[in-house]
Amino acid sequence: MNFDFLQIVMVLGTLLCVLGVILCIRTAGTRFDQIEAGDKDVNLGVAHVPALAFAKLMAFASLIVLPAGAVFLANYHTFEGVHEVRGCAGCHVMLPMANDMKDPKSGTLAARHYKNRWIAENQCYHCHSDYGLSGNLEAKMTGFRHLARYTTRTYHEPIHARVRFDNQNCLNCHAGTPRFEAVQSHKTAHEKLVSNLMICLNCHGQAHPTSVQRTPGSDDYARLTEKLK
Amino acid sequence: MSTENSRDDKDAQTPSDFSRREVLLTLGGLGAAVGGGAATWGGLELMVNSRQTIDSWNKAVCRFCGTGCGVMVGMKDGRVADVRGDELAHNKGVICIKGSMLPELTRIKGRLTSPKIRKAGKLMDASWDEAMGLVAAKFSESIQQFGPDSVAFYGSGQLFTEESYTANKLFKAGIRTNNVDGNPRLCMASATTGYVSTFGKDEPPGCYADADHAQCFFLMGSNAYECHQPIFERIRQRKRLNPDTVIVCVDPRRTKTAEHSDIHLPVIPGTDLLLLNSMAFVIFSEGLQDQRFIDKHVLFSNGEHIVDQAALVQFLQSYAPESVEHELGVSAADIRRVAYLFAKSPATMSLWTMGVNQRTQGTFLNNMLNGLHLITGQIGRPGATPFSLTGQPNACGGVRDTGALSHALPNGRLVANPQHRLEMEKIWNVPEGTISDKPGFDAVNLFRAMEDGRVKAALIMCTNPGASLPAAARYNAAMGKCFTVVSDVVEDSETQRHAQVVLPAALWIEKEGVTGQGERRYQFTPKLLDPPGQARSDLQILADLAVRLGHDKLITARTPQAVWDEWREVSSHSLYNFKGITYERLAKERGLQWPCPTEDHPGTARRYVEGVDPFVTKGTGMEFYGNYNYDKKALVYLRPYVPSPEKTSAEYPLYLTTGRVLEQFHTGTLTDRIAELHQATGNAMFDLNPQDARMLGVNPGDYIEVKSKYGSVIGKARTTEVSRLGVIFAAFYDAKLLINRAVADNYDPTSKQPEYKVTAVSVKRMTA
Repeated sequence: MNFDFLQIVMVLGTLLCVLGVILCIRTAGTRFDQIEAGDKDVNLGVAHVPALAFAKLMAFASLIVLPAGAVFLANYHTFEGVHEVRGCAGCHVMLPMANDMKDPKSGTLAARHYKNRWIAENQCYHCHSDYGLSGNLEAKMTGFRHLARYTTRTYHEPIHARVRFDNQNCLNCHAGTPRFEAVQSHKTAHEKLVSNLMICLNCHGQAHPTSVQRTPGSDDYARLTEKLK
Repeated sequence: MSTENSRDDKDAQTPSDFSRREVLLTLGGLGAAVGGGAATWGGLELMVNSRQTIDSWNKAVCRFCGTGCGVMVGMKDGRVADVRGDELAHNKGVICIKGSMLPELTRIKGRLTSPKIRKAGKLMDASWDEAMGLVAAKFSESIQQFGPDSVAFYGSGQLFTEESYTANKLFKAGIRTNNVDGNPRLCMASATTGYVSTFGKDEPPGCYADADHAQCFFLMGSNAYECHQPIFERIRQRKRLNPDTVIVCVDPRRTKTAEHSDIHLPVIPGTDLLLLNSMAFVIFSEGLQDQRFIDKHVLFSNGEHIVDQAALVQFLQSYAPESVEHELGVSAADIRRVAYLFAKSPATMSLWTMGVNQRTQGTFLNNMLNGLHLITGQIGRPGATPFSLTGQPNACGGVRDTGALSHALPNGRLVANPQHRLEMEKIWNVPEGTISDKPGFDAVNLFRAMEDGRVKAALIMCTNPGASLPAAARYNAAMGKCFTVVSDVVEDSETQRHAQVVLPAALWIEKEGVTGQGERRYQFTPKLLDPPGQARSDLQILADLAVRLGHDKLITARTPQAVWDEWREVSSHSLYNFKGITYERLAKERGLQWPCPTEDHPGTARRYVEGVDPFVTKGTGMEFYGNYNYDKKALVYLRPYVPSPEKTSAEYPLYLTTGRVLEQFHTGTLTDRIAELHQATGNAMFDLNPQDARMLGVNPGDYIEVKSKYGSVIGKARTTEVSRLGVIFAAFYDAKLLINRAVADNYDPTSKQPEYKVTAVSVKRMTA
């Protein structure tokens, strides 16, 4: 459903761009000063618009409305598109996380959540829900920094997260469940968990392949960085 | 027409002018965009740096249990801001709730910050010089008047290796007494005697990574889910990835471990040697043994001399499942099923701890567990190993390996062996005959010797025997009769109530040193904080005492690294050889497993295995080189079941057993001071089976008196199906309950380890 909607957004955005280009060319070729008051009105079917007004409308649409719409749709597509696993796996450095997650032999938290269908879709985003169009400013800034690093190839593998993972991503699903509540220390260390002073992973294990596995030249590197099927 | 003209002029000029401006504008715009982007990026990089909540991550080791988890300690402005499991350490990033609370450990209230001397019944602040001067005077006086055996050292599996080694050397080669023992006697002495009598050498042959390969886990007397949580998590991970894996748990209680096992055998306390012998019976009677392995690598012994396999089979005839099931409390069908799984699984890993070790038959149980692996060939392959889990972070490395026990000398040597004494005298460069040929007092007998005045002065370090000894009331009183010096990190421990001098000690990362966890792995803990007040490391205290007692020429290594360098050199004269484990390597690597004779040796994950263990002769495949007197073969013993002296009776109809809980470590001196951990467990209570509770007329929340021959304890009761019918349980972390007052002090005749797990008790509901 999400996927289809995004496709529609993409098609719509492309159409807007094409339309915008056509209108731009048209607008560029229009000599506004040669449009005389007496020129024929343009028949829009429901109304007759004076030729000059129509030309100005076209110019407004081609220079302001359509670019703004295209930018919005492109942003929407980017931000929402990265909810999908393949959106994340589009970057080389994220391939190990995605490949490991889809590896039924892996025991990382990501892989277990994936193969047991605890999360049916958009698995990356589900546990890293601070990015996306409605995500917080910090995630936007981090994302921008990552994009800059990635596109300029100024990163080193293995990559290390420099921001704190928000336990809320875990608690969103687990808090309140009988199994979670049965553990006394979940309750007594609640403050530390919600304020991220103690990470869930300490007791519950690795989320993704280790930094050693993600280091070029390691035994697992080639397997982990295969293109996502 | 001027407008016409001007328009024409414009038209004439526009193409070139407009396009230049346009190009400039476009370039300028682009430049501004790129500049803006770059500036934003730069700003973000700066911001990310400035917003880091951690200044540096430092590799260290958890302070608590024997799993010895690698942790990363995050420091910020000189404080511990975060602790995380080290993903590259053996524990693969997994620690437990206690480890997660390590930042709080560095800030616990009630730290001891000044030496204290008891004056007019009260502990009063004193200077180091005053306190140590008094200690040295009292020790010297006692040694002069009553001989070296009138003083003693009672140490801990929580001291650093450098500290235990130094104490052992000072007392055995300096003061010339073998009265060096400690709390490891209470937790792993039977594992040691078991391994030594079976393989000729102490310490487990396998490693934690075996859990990634085993198909059958046989957990006996181990509540690993709570006590070695990262290891049990690893077992569960194995099961998740290989659902065919079977987990068997042998425990009188339906513990969390039992709950997460496939098969739970709730044996009656004190009877489980029947189970092991019965499994051996099934293995031989059904032909499940690995005869090729036995022929090549195994000898049989009745404890006095070598016998043949037929003698063992004959011995086992009285242990048929059908004849033991009643006394054992487990059905014959279950015994047969588990014996089959154990023998025929592609790889079986046994894990055991205090339920097996803290027993009057502890050594025999260890022998038989090792024996089951030997007769089925379940050893030396990935996943196939008999693994004794240890309770403390440095019982293995610090105490077992350094021989800081009353009967032992470094690297598996024995006090009673003249050759071993001679070797150590040479290595330590002391005159022949320096080391006494008389084994010192083991834990229980050391406190009995304080009781009757044979030991006049004792230095107790990094442990709380006031709460951890069995028959606690008796031995607390005994400490009061002796000149007791207690080096401790917190005020008001139960032990300090009897101390004449109390010395403030550094805790965890307030000092540096090496710990050796359960799989022979040495790991380094760096110093990241200063100790509070005047507190010092135990090594500093020992070095000071050595100098004051006139042994400055013996104890020349007085910094952790100098001691370690001496110690690894000592090890090179043995089959423990870890000369290749230097401080430099330990600082970089995630611990190293000995043997590791050279600096380019990767360490030994699986001992006795050719190609892995440097001491195995090429072409043998496997060699139990510790048993050089027995053709380098391992020994399987004929070990008869003897009922515990604590059999239930009409007077004492229930079994009391004790243990740990997930959130607390040992007697709670550290963990119970951390709010999150204290709140998670609350005060300790008695767990009763609901049926027992009904028969006794006890309702949940009632206070009950639990009484044994050794003492009585009053506490709150709760009912739970965790307890087997006829078994009552209490955790020992809570000094307010102090359950050890009711626990029996019977001990294994070989290992001298007390039988905490079996005490016959009566239960009486207290009237309001």
